[in-house]
Amino acid sequence: MHSLVLDIAGTLSAAANLFVVAAGLTLVFGAMRIINMAHGSFYMYGAFAVTTVLGVGAGWRFWLALLAGAVVAAVAGLTVEVTVIRRLYDAEHLTQLLATYAVLLIFADIGQRIWGAGYRTVNPPAVLASGVSIAGVQVPRYQLFVIGVGAAVGLALWLMLARTRFGWLLRAAVQDPESVATGGTDLARLRTGVFVIGAFLAGLGGALIAPMQSIAPGMDVSIIVSVFIVVTIGGLGSVAGAALGALLIGLAQTLGAEFFASWAASLIYLTMIVVLAIRPWGLLGVPER
Amino acid sequence: MSHCQPVRPRHWALATLAAAAACTLIAACGNSSAGSASSGGTVTVGESTTLSGSIAELGESGLQGVELAVADLNSHGGLLGKKIKVVSADDAATPATGAANAKNMILQDHVVALFGPVSSAVAAAEEQLAGQYKVPIFFHTSNDISLMGANFNPYAFQVVPNTDMEPRAAALYLDSEVKAGKIKTPLALGTFAPNYSFGQDSVAGFIQALKYYNVPFKIVSQQWPSLEATNISPNLSALIAAKPSVVYNAQFGGDLVTFVKQATPFGFFKKTTMLSMLNTAELAALGSQAPAGSIAYDRAPWFAMNEPGVTAFATEYHAKYHQWPDTWAVLAYTSVQVWAYGVKHAGTFDAGKVSAAIAGAAIPTIRGTITIRACDHQAEIPEYVGTVASSPSSLTGFPLWTPGSAFAAPFSKIGLSCAQMKAMQK
Repeated sequence: MHSLVLDIAGTLSAAANLFVVAAGLTLVFGAMRIINMAHGSFYMYGAFAVTTVLGVGAGWRFWLALLAGAVVAAVAGLTVEVTVIRRLYDAEHLTQLLATYAVLLIFADIGQRIWGAGYRTVNPPAVLASGVSIAGVQVPRYQLFVIGVGAAVGLALWLMLARTRFGWLLRAAVQDPESVATGGTDLARLRTGVFVIGAFLAGLGGALIAPMQSIAPGMDVSIIVSVFIVVTIGGLGSVAGAALGALLIGLAQTLGAEFFASWAASLIYLTMIVVLAIRPWGLLGVPER
Repeated sequence: MSHCQPVRPRHWALATLAAAAACTLIAACGNSSAGSASSGGTVTVGESTTLSGSIAELGESGLQGVELAVADLNSHGGLLGKKIKVVSADDAATPATGAANAKNMILQDHVVALFGPVSSAVAAAEEQLAGQYKVPIFFHTSNDISLMGANFNPYAFQVVPNTDMEPRAAALYLDSEVKAGKIKTPLALGTFAPNYSFGQDSVAGFIQALKYYNVPFKIVSQQWPSLEATNISPNLSALIAAKPSVVYNAQFGGDLVTFVKQATPFGFFKKTTMLSMLNTAELAALGSQAPAGSIAYDRAPWFAMNEPGVTAFATEYHAKYHQWPDTWAVLAYTSVQVWAYGVKHAGTFDAGKVSAAIAGAAIPTIRGTITIRACDHQAEIPEYVGTVASSPSSLTGFPLWTPGSAFAAPFSKIGLSCAQMKAMQK
């Protein structure tokens, strides 16, 4: 019972955090067919922005910091879309990949100038700092909070895609961009909108994890590897796939840590290889037309 | 080399490229300081260390220690009538970059001594170069035993407790706690370490040391989060689920701070005694969240060493940098003093003569007189262990060690013998 409760909370919180970031990446890919390496930068900026807003204090400012992290990333996303991505829609995948990787490197350098080369840490607000007893097992409240945010983001994205005009246009644009454009929709603005939402989610993911890890240069690269695995497993472009992929990776991490500790890192890649061998387009993806 | 200082690349490939481009291809970079060894009454020393990325804090702290030591030497007239200049560069924790930096410092800045780096892998690469070009090199942070073992060369010196001494000291302290009835045996032991050589070696060393001191234990969980892990929660959950009574944690810096913050809400520190390298910087970062009752080991804790020289150094450091010195600064400062002693006694900057003057010598430093053993150039210094205090120190405002808990594990008990080291040097 003891380890079961810890495993479930550990799996779900790891998955929720991965999902928030991966959802943004997969949304952008689905709508724009662009693999955005700079997504990792938005994540890192979200986390660092939290340290700036929060400083040494905690308390109510945490909620402001969480929002600020996402907004800073969204603004960075807007800048990147307008200056770089917009010129790359018709370019080859490799060109897009290189360009967004260049953006990641530039953001990393700017980041070091703003926040320095060392690590920073912040605390969760007092209300989330302690543990709560579930079936006699103490679980950190913050883990439950992360799970909650993951679920809320999933619900919000589903509502947006299924129930709003923006979501409807978005899905239509994925299927057939030309006819959407002929129908009078400003495709450029639609794409900018999606990109900003993607960056916002990356920043939110970074802000969310800030109290759980040390925030340091390099977290941009390590997250992009993880979420890339998640969206590949789930199917590039599928938000539900991102959720499923995040759960699988969270589960692989937790079970790996518990039962094959010295192989835990490889288990994630093994999961990806197995999934791709069976379904090269991912669990919930569709084969490229 | 000084022109290259602002370049602080982080990515490996980029770091190598940038180092090559900035320092090798552009000849102007080295020109300003070329020939400085013989002209103008100055000599140059180099500190190539990690100044970017997750372990940058160790490198920065060490660099500050070197700079402060050199400033103090210069204010007393320098060495052999010459002023000393420090050049520094970032190795991004990459052996190739560290080696390129060291080579530039040797060939273009004509350094008379090298100090650094943080990573032992980088240190091994630089040690080889130092041997080739005959430049004395002083390790004050990287401490893999192989540096003075399999890779030993006569120009290299280890002014820091090595990877073997550290876990032995921790085990020795644990043994005394067990004997005092404070910890029950057999220990339900958990280990938590980054999944690369330093982490693996430390854990293996600790387990070996427990056997050496006959502390009964049973391993309940071993966790190896990857160095790049974005989130350690899965490993942490697995560790806690195994209900360890004692956990040996080989993390350091920001990762260790994160571990403590994440583990606390699980009630972890109420049930488990953690042994780890919680140094001044980590205790400062944790503040009131420091895990009281945990066992901390530290290579040179200024507050627990009881040396007037170290206390004076800490005060000077605090006045200059507005923070208390971490272990790395104390060790780096000492390593410069060791080199300076060699120069004074040899009466020259010549590498062979300086090295010969240091080997086997008893050298006065801020931490008292330390002996550099002739057989392996290892400083015969203790490793310190103590228990994290529950209330803040009146001096620093954050908790240090419980008064009276500090223990200096003597070199004679935790260091390998000359015969053992000689066997490794073959």
